[in-house]
Amino acid sequence: MLGAGTKRTEEGAAVSGDTEAAGSTGTAAPAPPAADGTAARTIEARDVNLFYGGFHAVEGVTMTVEPNKVTALIGSSGCGKTTFLRSLNRMHELTPGATVKGDVTLDGEDIYAAGVDPVAVRRLIGMVFQQPNPFPTMSIYDNVAAGLNLNVGRMRKADKDAIVERSLRGANLWEEVKDRLDKPGSGLSGGQQQRLCIARAIAVEPEVLLMDEPCSALDPVATLAVEDLIGELKSKYTIVIVTHNMQQASRASDRTAFFNLEESGKPGRLVEIGPTETIFTNPTQKATEDYVSGRFG
Amino acid sequence: MAAISQHPGGVKLAGGILPKWAPYGVYGGSFVLVGAVLAAAGSFTVALTLALSVLVACAGIYAWSRAVEGPRRAVDRTMTMLIVAAFALAMIPLASLIFEVVKRGVPGLSWEFFTEDSRGKIGGGGAAHAIVGTLVITGVAVVISVPIGLMAAIYMNEYGTGKLRRALTFFVDVMTGIPSIVAGLFAFALFELFFGPGIRLGVMGSVALTVLMIPIVIRSAEEVLKIVPNHLREAAYALGTPKWKTITKVVLPTAFAGLVTGVMIATARIIGETAPLLVTTGVVDSMNADPFNGRMQNLAVYAYNEYRSPGVMKQASYDRAWAAALVLIAIVMILNVAARLVYRRYKTEIR
Amino acid sequence: MPESAGRQGYQEELETLEASALDGLNLVSAALQRTLEAIEHQDVELAQIVVADDDRIDGRYLEVHQALITLLATQSPVATDLRLISALLHVLKSVERMGDQCVNICKVIPLTGNEPPSDESMVKLILGMGSQTRSLISQAKRAFAERNVEMARDLVHQDDVVDDLNRDCFRLALAIGDDADQREWAMTMLLAARAIERIADNAVDIGEQVAFVVTGLFREFEDASHPTT
Repeated sequence: MLGAGTKRTEEGAAVSGDTEAAGSTGTAAPAPPAADGTAARTIEARDVNLFYGGFHAVEGVTMTVEPNKVTALIGSSGCGKTTFLRSLNRMHELTPGATVKGDVTLDGEDIYAAGVDPVAVRRLIGMVFQQPNPFPTMSIYDNVAAGLNLNVGRMRKADKDAIVERSLRGANLWEEVKDRLDKPGSGLSGGQQQRLCIARAIAVEPEVLLMDEPCSALDPVATLAVEDLIGELKSKYTIVIVTHNMQQASRASDRTAFFNLEESGKPGRLVEIGPTETIFTNPTQKATEDYVSGRFG
Repeated sequence: MAAISQHPGGVKLAGGILPKWAPYGVYGGSFVLVGAVLAAAGSFTVALTLALSVLVACAGIYAWSRAVEGPRRAVDRTMTMLIVAAFALAMIPLASLIFEVVKRGVPGLSWEFFTEDSRGKIGGGGAAHAIVGTLVITGVAVVISVPIGLMAAIYMNEYGTGKLRRALTFFVDVMTGIPSIVAGLFAFALFELFFGPGIRLGVMGSVALTVLMIPIVIRSAEEVLKIVPNHLREAAYALGTPKWKTITKVVLPTAFAGLVTGVMIATARIIGETAPLLVTTGVVDSMNADPFNGRMQNLAVYAYNEYRSPGVMKQASYDRAWAAALVLIAIVMILNVAARLVYRRYKTEIR
Repeated sequence: MPESAGRQGYQEELETLEASALDGLNLVSAALQRTLEAIEHQDVELAQIVVADDDRIDGRYLEVHQALITLLATQSPVATDLRLISALLHVLKSVERMGDQCVNICKVIPLTGNEPPSDESMVKLILGMGSQTRSLISQAKRAFAERNVEMARDLVHQDDVVDDLNRDCFRLALAIGDDADQREWAMTMLLAARAIERIADNAVDIGEQVAFVVTGLFREFEDASHPTT
């Protein structure tokens, strides 16, 4: 029981310290362009329900991912945060039998509308995975340019060079690899490989970056390097990261969403979303408080 | 020291150990013993002695080890000896085969063997036409099987779901079990339908071999494609890559070494098939490198022919038959070694 | 939100908060200065200004306190950073108490009435205490900023001077005489002297926090319950 003065909400609604009631947001106005002209976009989820065949994995998620901010999704294992993340760039449906109900809009456009090409969606919403996975048959240069090679087709070498350098600089990797761009990507350390994957993701200039536990396979020093990078990237992109490390969520994110699973077999739900400071100093939901204080189980 | 080696539960850390030469010595001793007994009984043969002394040696090493080292190590040593004996048993036929083929085939090898065909040469001639024939027929078979087999494997692994895929898997399983003569008869019947009976073409042999080769290619390609980790495909999808491009630019290059190895091993497997070629390519003495024009000789049928209809100089024919077999084995070995080298050179480390 | 992201931003934020907390001591010193002037010249208006200005000190306290709590929640600091944040929370508390003590003094100044002081020497003592205390505050600030444990320990000796002056004030007050007005004035002055002595003690507390940040040990330099003399 929380003390007097804290707001209590009903089942399923998500409330933050600055009152963000579930389902009340209409289509948000497009975000103002970032400094260099790329407009990072707002993602809105409205009553998203995710299924694996007949199994209801995630129920009733309604939230807004704000542009040029880092939003962290936290929660215990199996609570659906990765499933939800993958539904934001239409990767969820790649699993056989997986289905999506509800709306996900990118700056007002429904990405699940009939006639929308999922491949095009994924070019706008990029993803970085838990295990660094540079393409083993390609050199570092080709890895970064993979998005361009695989999608755009013919491109002048000079243009490609410029994009590769820009992406590697953006990922804080340029200085370390500029002399061995033609060496295979697998020769790098874990942290460098993950930054290579980030460079690869930003080379195609997405507007949103989704990251699924990007640091969990890395040692602490590499983790901090990637977190610093995320902090720099948010000025150009909207970023959503799933993490099971609460200190990472508290260090690196602006807003935090807490997902929870009441018992196994039931679907995961969004319990609370709000500014990170509020979630970690004064959350409104008891479940959130228990989770961040480590009082679960 | 007592504290270290005396565990309260009765387990001793340190104990006696048999000398390093113990297994060999025991076996040697058994061999001598059994040999002596058999010789005394008048039925000494090397094979029998070798076999019986394995049993005696096992008993011997068990008893000795148990006394010195303890029951656990004794069982360990006995099992080791049995396993090594089983391995040796398996190796014997292989070693014997190679030995025999080399011994009998080398006399048949000559410059003439590799450069001349048998046309018009009574009692002489070479196998050049057979060698060329084998290479051509197998080559055409590979050219037909690999694309079909690879695309089927890609379909089954990357696209297929549900009924069609299950049906395909079933049929591939059935095809791996087809007797080779049946494949040959199928090719024969097929071409007879279009060209009438009595037609003999090199390409018919290729078709028969294809029927045998495709399921092997599909099987091994499928295995290799399965090994390509899913997260590589996901990484490509996340960049907004369409599926077919992901397959051609990411999955296939990653699997390349394994695919080539699979093809080479399938080739080595079918290169020596005799029965289908007997009914399809016919027997001919002259050089023919055109698969679409008339009969074509090949090494397997050539060896069979030289042995069955030796001609005037019997021994020379037999020698040539053995030599053809030797060349076949050599080609298969070269293919296997090449497969390993290709794999090592092109394999990609997947973390 | 810090300008730079990640670790650099965190370090910068910590430095900024430390500077802000220590700057609170500047505010306190200025408030004390004005308080002393108000005592010297019986300036009631100046006293009221000091009371009103205490809002600034309280505001500073709340703002830096909240930022420190947020830093604790979001950065999970350990080792020196953690000790520093804990010390800064104590320093803030001391700053706020010091400000309140100045307010306490300024509240009693109007009670001394508009007549000239009954005992000039007592006023002089109090002004002397005040000036010594101001130098204590400045020394505490420098000791913290420089992490100078020796300088922090010396605060105890400086504080002894203030304590002695306070005792002298007390004796003077006892000997002030029988006049009721005079006795009332003397009691009021004693309250002021006591408040100044408390401010000096708070400065010594800050010194103890310096030692905690540097050594990781918290020990009172001079414990009232275990007197060394």
